[in-house]
Amino acid sequence: MNKTTRREFIKRSGMTVLSVGLSQQAFWRHVRAASESVLTRAAALSPTDRILVVIQMDGGNDGLNTVIPLSGSAASLYRQYRPTLAIPEANILPLGEDAAGTLIGFHPNLLPLQRLYEQGHVAVVQSVGYPNPNRSHFASQDIWHTADPEGRKRTGWLGDYLDVAFPSSDNPLLAVSLAGTRLPLTLRAEHVLVPAIGSVVANYQFRTQPPSDHQNKMRAFLALNRETASEHRLREQIQLVALDAVESVEMLQSGIQRYTSDPTIVYNTQNRLAQALQQVAQILAARLGTRILYVSLGGFDTHQSQATPHERLLAYLSEAIATFYADLVRLGLDDRVLLMTWSEFGRKVVENGNQGTDHGTVSPQFLIGTRVKGGIVGEHPSLRAEDLNPGLGDPKFSVRSIDFRSIYATILEKWFLVDSREILGGAFELLDVLQV
Amino acid sequence: MPLDEYDKIAHLLRRAGFTAHPDELDAAAARGLQATVEELLNFERFPDVPPDPEVLAALDLPQSDFDRNRGDFLNKLTRWWLHVMATTPRPLQEKMVLFWHGLFATSVAGLEFWQQIYLQNENFRGNFDPDTGQLLRPAPGNPFPVGNFRRMLEYLSKDPAMLYWLDNQFNVKKNSEVGSNENYARELHELFSMGVEDVVAKVPNYTERDIRQASRALTGWRVLPRAAGFTFPRVFSFDATRHDFGPYEHLGKRGGNNADFIFDNIVRHRNPGQKQSAVGRFLGYRLFKFFGYEDPEPEIINALADVFDGANGEEPFNIRNMLRTIFTPGNLVSEAFYSERAFRAHVKSPTEYVVSLVRLLTFDRATGRPDGLSPSPNVRRLVQNGMLQMGQQLFMPPDVSGWREGLAWISTTSILARFNFANDILALQVTQGGIDLTRLLVQAGLQDALSQQRYGEVVDFFARLLWQSPPSADAREALIAYLQAPIPNASSSTVGDLKIRGLIHLMLAAPDFHLS
Repeated sequence: MNKTTRREFIKRSGMTVLSVGLSQQAFWRHVRAASESVLTRAAALSPTDRILVVIQMDGGNDGLNTVIPLSGSAASLYRQYRPTLAIPEANILPLGEDAAGTLIGFHPNLLPLQRLYEQGHVAVVQSVGYPNPNRSHFASQDIWHTADPEGRKRTGWLGDYLDVAFPSSDNPLLAVSLAGTRLPLTLRAEHVLVPAIGSVVANYQFRTQPPSDHQNKMRAFLALNRETASEHRLREQIQLVALDAVESVEMLQSGIQRYTSDPTIVYNTQNRLAQALQQVAQILAARLGTRILYVSLGGFDTHQSQATPHERLLAYLSEAIATFYADLVRLGLDDRVLLMTWSEFGRKVVENGNQGTDHGTVSPQFLIGTRVKGGIVGEHPSLRAEDLNPGLGDPKFSVRSIDFRSIYATILEKWFLVDSREILGGAFELLDVLQV
Repeated sequence: MPLDEYDKIAHLLRRAGFTAHPDELDAAAARGLQATVEELLNFERFPDVPPDPEVLAALDLPQSDFDRNRGDFLNKLTRWWLHVMATTPRPLQEKMVLFWHGLFATSVAGLEFWQQIYLQNENFRGNFDPDTGQLLRPAPGNPFPVGNFRRMLEYLSKDPAMLYWLDNQFNVKKNSEVGSNENYARELHELFSMGVEDVVAKVPNYTERDIRQASRALTGWRVLPRAAGFTFPRVFSFDATRHDFGPYEHLGKRGGNNADFIFDNIVRHRNPGQKQSAVGRFLGYRLFKFFGYEDPEPEIINALADVFDGANGEEPFNIRNMLRTIFTPGNLVSEAFYSERAFRAHVKSPTEYVVSLVRLLTFDRATGRPDGLSPSPNVRRLVQNGMLQMGQQLFMPPDVSGWREGLAWISTTSILARFNFANDILALQVTQGGIDLTRLLVQAGLQDALSQQRYGEVVDFFARLLWQSPPSADAREALIAYLQAPIPNASSSTVGDLKIRGLIHLMLAAPDFHLS
């Protein structure tokens, strides 16, 4: 298929009259089609070309075995509460002291991440959660997705960001999710369409049987979606989305062809997060204007026999991030990319009867990138009985905890340079984690 | 331009059912619009599609055996229901079961016993008796899907899947303010009856206290963990020892000793100064949105609410009466239903997309019925996967507020998913559970047109079948060009078959097929 844009097709087909009632995005496309290039991609309201990569740890990561206390009452209580799960002290990778004077360290499988930390590229944000914690996966995930403690909003915090920052964008690939076929709520927007690519970009294609008939078929498909039979609002919307799909598939498939891998930077084929991040690198290398990419690593809901699965997940996490970061450096993109992790909750401090842990509250999250001001943010949660939720065994959300919306606010204000208050429904304290 | 009678009938059969083959449209046109409406509404006179024996057999398995294969169970159940929708002589019944599934949205993801979701499906069909846990066809007394809404609230509140899904199973007497679990009481008001605010007056319909008081009345409403003859919990039980006997203060009324007080208040509740009930308006709005168009005008909502309220002497709370108002020509509501604004103004959900595709392409002119959806594992897997990619998995709504409809079904991902699903299903040979294309072409009398390359005729035929209208000049031209374009390296014996499949694929991927 010729590499022409949907815009050109619309123009060629003579779509002129604007129907009343088209969505805002469709309206702007029509305007652009009619009047050459007054509104271009550069007219996006977000004045940066910075990129955010979101890594979701799906299931509730056991933060206490990820960032581990090495001193004080927390360290001894940790070993007392976790007779089988506590990581042997000799294996823990020390990071340093936090603001409360607790010495903390990484789980041994986070060695690649520790190296990045030592280069100053990792901010370890401790005790991240929110007041009145919800320990249901789907409810707490919704809260993190939408930044709404009632969990009732229908759009996500990054979807809202896209609507605010790119009200008239032409780009069908402003944001992309590689986390399955359902678009994560984080990226649901009122107007901006975000494709859920699935986990293999190469499968994001129009399939035709037989493949040799592909050109013929796509030509006809485009024709069916270009012609204006009437000013029927729904029909036009469907056509616009169909043309968008053709354009985004074309952009992606030809874009990722341009990526050449570096033989010294090897993404482990057994590591599904690494595979996903390699595809993120391919998309970024194609320079398609994508600003947000979303990936997910599942399996963190470790209610029983936690030790082996959790250590494997942490190995995958750190190895994937380190490889991806090296690739960004090689591609000359590391300056513009920020990585963040999130997980719907941590887990209980006391291990359960099945050598596992149950749903908890606060846990540490990471920000990684060249522009991150590396270090330890916040305090390790106290494990003293009076600081745990009574009868529940997980840390209370206290003044020493960090609201996850502070991380969001910091990213929105300092990284993306937009006002975070309306998106988050309030003002949240910004964290000193970026050097921009 | 107003719709002619044929258009109206086609529109009616697309909306009140899952679309109709041209033969069915012709037969309906011969009967006339009025008679067609009557047949749709009074569907009990036609036989129901029987249950799937494999689904039924799974209900008798010990739980551990069932759980090991519950994914397969869900897959077979989904296939069966889609097949029912595609082949039933009671299309409006199934459309309403789908409507209630989307409104009283319950997901297996929140259930310990997935078998219960099948019972809920039959509950919505009127074939389940929660008091005995039995499947009966029909279950006497069960008002679903088009009966008395007041009684439906009772059958919904006793439904085993619902009792587990929204935790009323654990709701026990606590104090004079609230039961121990208000989850169900909340959704009962917010999502299942009147909504947060009056649809027309835009004032709040209830207070937090109303919900808490309602939760008291619902205490002790649970499912028996065990019952003789059953392998999983499925029998409703009212546990007086866990029940708070009130009196309650709810929606401005004081009294009652059980949840019937709550249901009675809900269906009669009107906001100050309002003529129509809040539930009447909520259901009027949701029904018209489902069958007609989005954002119905207040007059339409109020007219339907009047019917719900029995304002003109009809039996109140009757869903069928509301449907009769929508579909029977000659009133304000049906005028809107049959208007240009409503015509082709509905985006098919993935369910409607799959079912209409199956109905039209497996229709056997000899029997006058569609074959339906093949139970072959190939097809089942393809459909399950396709619907997941399209954004709708039956029995697994994303949350208790159901699916976002209309244009929310359309995204770059879902357009791609529909395109690929249509491609994949058409690529299947009839031996693999695919469409019987040969029979279709023979019954259409198209072999000559094909062999003589009278492609215009072929395109016109499929447009009439799939789009139920003639193709536009541009579409016709593009599709003829497609048929004429050779496929490199294709053998002459297969290219004809490939091209026809390709043509059908394109027409299923066109905007005209996404809209009904």
